[in-house]
Amino acid sequence: MARDVAIVSFAQTPSTHGVTETESQLLFPVIAEAIERSGIPRRDIGFTCSGSADYLAGASFAFVGNLEATGAWPPISESHVEMDGAWALYEAWVRLQHGDVDTALVFSSGISSRGDMREVLCLQNDPYYLMPLWADHVSLAALQARALLDTGKVTEADLAEVAARSRRAATGNPMAQVAGDVTAEAMSAEPYVVAPLRAGDCPPVSDAAAAMVLVAGDRAREVCERPAWIRGIDHRIEPHYPGVRDLTTSRSTRLAAEHVGVGDAPVEVAELSATFSHEELILRDALDLAGDVEVNPSGGALAANPLMVTGLIRIGEAFRQIHEHGRTRTLGHATSGPCLQQNLVCVLEGDR
Amino acid sequence: MAEAPQEEGGPVRFMKQHIALDYKVHVSPLAARFGEQLRGGQIVGSRCPRCGLVYVPTRAFCPMCTVAMGERDEAPLPDRGTVTSFTILTPIQYHGQKEREDYALASILIDGADGTVGQQRLSDIPLDKIRMGMRVEAVWAPEDERAGDPGDRGYGFGNALRGWRPTGEPDVAADEFAEHVL
Repeated sequence: MARDVAIVSFAQTPSTHGVTETESQLLFPVIAEAIERSGIPRRDIGFTCSGSADYLAGASFAFVGNLEATGAWPPISESHVEMDGAWALYEAWVRLQHGDVDTALVFSSGISSRGDMREVLCLQNDPYYLMPLWADHVSLAALQARALLDTGKVTEADLAEVAARSRRAATGNPMAQVAGDVTAEAMSAEPYVVAPLRAGDCPPVSDAAAAMVLVAGDRAREVCERPAWIRGIDHRIEPHYPGVRDLTTSRSTRLAAEHVGVGDAPVEVAELSATFSHEELILRDALDLAGDVEVNPSGGALAANPLMVTGLIRIGEAFRQIHEHGRTRTLGHATSGPCLQQNLVCVLEGDR
Repeated sequence: MAEAPQEEGGPVRFMKQHIALDYKVHVSPLAARFGEQLRGGQIVGSRCPRCGLVYVPTRAFCPMCTVAMGERDEAPLPDRGTVTSFTILTPIQYHGQKEREDYALASILIDGADGTVGQQRLSDIPLDKIRMGMRVEAVWAPEDERAGDPGDRGYGFGNALRGWRPTGEPDVAADEFAEHVL
């Protein structure tokens, strides 16, 4: 039986391109805001976990400097994942299951604009077959989109619908980077980046940071008017080599969803890390989302895609739907690796 | 380690793969200001308005107190300090290595600062005469050669300083810098 753990606060920077601040400078006010909103004194935080990637910073051990933004003196108990902050959240949740600490800080940051992501992300491929080809993530995503189109279940017009809806939704999100009252027809008229993916099907290159505070047990209700309880959180991974997977489905998402009981009760809002428009269609299917589920009211990852932060923001947005908008059951999703290789699903619930 | 020979026409046993990634890092406004002051011949630190610790180069916030710091917290510092630690490096001739002779890098505790500045070049002294506690002063580049910026990594003086040389003052006693030996 898992210990009840809730998200009690969340803060994020707007997603932009080309920030001049360092990562720790980006994080400093965001961490302060999340802690202040939580009502938990900074010194009372029992565990801290962060997510970032040195390949984005272009410097080894860059994540160590980010710790300065937490005020890590006297020494704190902390850990880091070279992954999206959603996995830092997972580690913090596991840490709180031990029962000896009740509070945790999770944060992540990424400045994608410093490098060429189509080069940098090549290095996540295997070094023998795909890396020497410089098989970049947009091209691999396009292969996946093509495979999906070839099933005949979706059309390019469906992709354009996702692209347009994301940008329209983002007009209500001041943290989003790409927003606009655009139509699917307009999206369909955009040039291909890598066919069949058009400009609107691909995410922007984004810089951002985010932080959240977790509290276990009844203390969550004491410090937060409407906490979002982590009803289930699970992540599953598929083979590294895209060639041995069925790219038109997401078995790892389906497995994770089954383990957290996504289908046990209706979900009102799902925030999905669909970084390309076709990924949303694959994820909706893998999660068995009903037609009335509101997907990515924030605009999702197509409106802002700060690598290493995108997934944590999705779960933060799912938290806000409960905390600020009075929803009772929401879902946050994060992904990692080429073509939805690894997926994390988190179900949040508010008190009824 | 020597590479094992590969037979002509035989199976491929080794594959060279050169990978280069280019990054374009903006100079943060904080680092830009620090660099400008350096070009003017002034080393500047930040004094935390809460705990009073002085950091050099300047910082946007005190990592101990998590208090924001700005221009009003700037602390001009002298270009003198103490070697708290040092390393003699023997350069290996890898691609891009410009060094040919052994040289020394040191951590310097600048007078009035509470933290050291790392990887500072020492000059004007035989390598075997360098010691912890040695007093040093900055060797400034000529004003017209102090180009560029100190970068955003937060531990450099760019090319405004050539390095540090002994002042000839008596050494500082070990217990006065024992907390800064890094």
